[in-house]
Amino acid sequence: MSTRRDFLASSTLLGFGATVPGFLGRTALAAPAVGKAGAKDTILVVVQLTGGNDGLNTVIPFKDADYAKYRPTIGVKKNEVKKVDDSIGLHPAMADLAGLLEDQALCVVQGVGYPNPSQSHFRSMDVWQAASTAETVNEGWLGKALKQKELPGFHLSSGGNEVSPLALVGAPARVPSVTSIEDFQLKTTAADAADKTRQKKLIEAAANGTASGSAQPNGANLLDFVQRTALNTYASSQRLQEVAKNYQPKSPYPGTALANRLKLAAQLIDAGTGARLFYVSLDGFDTHAGQGGANGTHANLLREVSGAIAAFYKDLAARGHKDRVCVMTFSEFGRRAKENGSNGTDHGSAAPMFLVGGRVTSGVVGSHPSLSKLEDGNLVHAIDFRRVYAAVLDQWLGVDAKAVLGSSFEPVKVFKNS
Amino acid sequence: MTTAWDAYRPTADNPWTLQKVGHLYRRAAFGATWAELQQGLKDGPEKTIDRLLRGGPAAPDFERTSDFMAAERSLPAGTAGTQLAAWWLARILHTPHPLREKLALFWHNHFATSLAKVRNARFMLEQYRLVYRHALGDFRQLLQEMSIDPAMMVWLDTTESVKGKPNENYARELMELFSLGIGNYTEKDIREAAKAFTGYDIQKGKGHFEASKHDDGTKSVLGKTGNWKAEDVVSICIDQPACPRFIARKLYRFLVSDTEAPPAELINSLADQYRASGFDTAKLVETILRSDHFFGPAAYRRKVKGPVDFAVGIVRGLEGNVGPLPLAQSLENLGQRLFEPPSVKGWDGGPAWLNGQTLLFRQNLALAITGTEDSRFGRRADPVAVLAKHGCKSDTEAAEFFLGLFLQNDVPPETRSRLLSYLDDARAAKFPVYWTPEDVANHRLRTAAHLTLTLPEFQLD
Repeated sequence: MSTRRDFLASSTLLGFGATVPGFLGRTALAAPAVGKAGAKDTILVVVQLTGGNDGLNTVIPFKDADYAKYRPTIGVKKNEVKKVDDSIGLHPAMADLAGLLEDQALCVVQGVGYPNPSQSHFRSMDVWQAASTAETVNEGWLGKALKQKELPGFHLSSGGNEVSPLALVGAPARVPSVTSIEDFQLKTTAADAADKTRQKKLIEAAANGTASGSAQPNGANLLDFVQRTALNTYASSQRLQEVAKNYQPKSPYPGTALANRLKLAAQLIDAGTGARLFYVSLDGFDTHAGQGGANGTHANLLREVSGAIAAFYKDLAARGHKDRVCVMTFSEFGRRAKENGSNGTDHGSAAPMFLVGGRVTSGVVGSHPSLSKLEDGNLVHAIDFRRVYAAVLDQWLGVDAKAVLGSSFEPVKVFKNS
Repeated sequence: MTTAWDAYRPTADNPWTLQKVGHLYRRAAFGATWAELQQGLKDGPEKTIDRLLRGGPAAPDFERTSDFMAAERSLPAGTAGTQLAAWWLARILHTPHPLREKLALFWHNHFATSLAKVRNARFMLEQYRLVYRHALGDFRQLLQEMSIDPAMMVWLDTTESVKGKPNENYARELMELFSLGIGNYTEKDIREAAKAFTGYDIQKGKGHFEASKHDDGTKSVLGKTGNWKAEDVVSICIDQPACPRFIARKLYRFLVSDTEAPPAELINSLADQYRASGFDTAKLVETILRSDHFFGPAAYRRKVKGPVDFAVGIVRGLEGNVGPLPLAQSLENLGQRLFEPPSVKGWDGGPAWLNGQTLLFRQNLALAITGTEDSRFGRRADPVAVLAKHGCKSDTEAAEFFLGLFLQNDVPPETRSRLLSYLDDARAAKFPVYWTPEDVANHRLRTAAHLTLTLPEFQLD
């Protein structure tokens, strides 16, 4: 395995001066070697479940009579759930994730949400990604964190239609989206090596042009934004081409899109790129109709999430990164307690979050939202999601949470010894 | 009193230029050819805009060929999205009325319905025809028909919604995304409106009303109470003052700038006119395109090119005739699968189009189209042939031609000199021995085209 020092030493693209991309930031140079005792070299992987995940069929209060009453067709039977304790259990499709309880590596935070929840996908997703309920939001919580501290990171895009999330907006240098290492390169048709160099120099020079301002794409500096994005991309691309292409996982990954992207994260971590932040999304959770119960559409989605995260954790654990990694899931809202007439569920509010890693508090945090005290048919949140973010920012990334979140939120105890 | 929406008139201080023609053709079409740029420069704004609004002259076979290609035999219900996208791209590449296709793209993004869930290419095709029919027509009619459009009914679960068991999906997006925007309705309005949309299903490929499954009770929506059906709720939404503002704001973003929010008074004046015209979209578009504001700094290069605009702009500029299928496949990497938008909100557009990976794919697609190595595109959009056609012989003429065609020469002087230096220096390369002098010359010229297309300025619209 190459170390990040080898990696940086082998890099050839120098001389960007003040515009050095975040990917190559000072932290990468200064970061302690992996595995060194006391190295505060933590990694955060955010997994976004897009569309509003049905929390009630994810973390199931199997003993509650109201659950069966509200979910006559899509409810999961008591004997099918993967029990977490004597009152709640995970959906049966999440066996892999439930298995991490034995490793003390799974934390389930129950009843997470925010006051006056919006049931618009887009508004609510903005609230979660910006960590703000302000009417207009332009920056993401991770983007703001990156202003405080350079944490090299990647948005692991599924390609196609997926764009970089609001959560990452606001960072001093745009966090690059990567679909695969092989695709992440600038091609040329050149007569010889010198010709190739001349072409690349021209392309890079145009990107370097007058770039001076911020990475924020507003108004007059739109060209500036294109240039900085290009500059960061070309530099990152050159580095990535130096990363080993044949990655052998220590633990098998399922053949799903999410698993492939988490495998890419493992590859980037293992190659010593210094990357500490990853963002990945899985769409399809907007199950208004034909959601299914123990099997079906929603079960398949949960299986993909559970299988991918468990494989990723096991792969990294086998490489000695168990205590460096924290995977966190969220969705913009949960769904209505009572199923609708289409064997699906309409938009709701509070839902659970998962955190996975060697240092998370194992087991359940918070209590399941009451099914007898609904608000407009929706579960009521007990934990503000920003309290989870506060723990992640302060205790995991070492970033001042108050500066990012705008006010003090009491961190939820999601990490051991915290 | 003059306002920003008064028509632009060329003056000595603010003359009609090649940049303005290029700008107009990027926004009101999919980029210009060399001939269109020259003609536009000669004709002036009024006549050029007339031509874009009117479209034509129509090639006699255009619609017939397009319909033939869309026959059920060629595009059965199970057709994949890429195939369907290729069909539309073929229209966009060859249309005599690019503005109408452009607005169809706007409405496709507005009603953002995806084949991924609809799973019926015939329904998607019909929805395309619906938005194309009203692209420059009456928005009220478009919204009414959309509510019982089969693809939409599957996409937002209207077909699943019956009396006593309403599904809220369509009612919510009708208000949030199709007519009013967030903040202009309540959750109660949505739940009530959802009842009005019960009892609609699809029969023989058409929206159908099934009275026995409809909730015919009283509903109270946006302050109006009555025994509402789908069309009543749609009308109630359209009558809200928020509706014309919402559409005007969105169209502003599409035609003028996707980086800066316009001042309220600019939008209000468009909205007033839109309502007064009976929601005549053509008039609204015309007002914007003719305006002083449109030809000013608030609009010029204030948009990031969308993937369709990027790819089609290159092919049209080079007067090429590439296959629409490989083009549709390439667009998937650039972030725009036609007929498969990412969510009901559509593509975010603007700066979100560029994320590193998509930027690299753009540069590599420009290479594939202009180069010789990618068999998908062959040499059917050949920069060398276009140079010859327009009589460009020297290196300087070639550089000037590409910079003029794609960027109307609006680049820093260093960029121009770097491009000329490249053409000069490239002569010194060690070319493979089997290359003829013509191969060598063509390589340099093709590379000059590719390098022009990689310039940051070309990413802007």
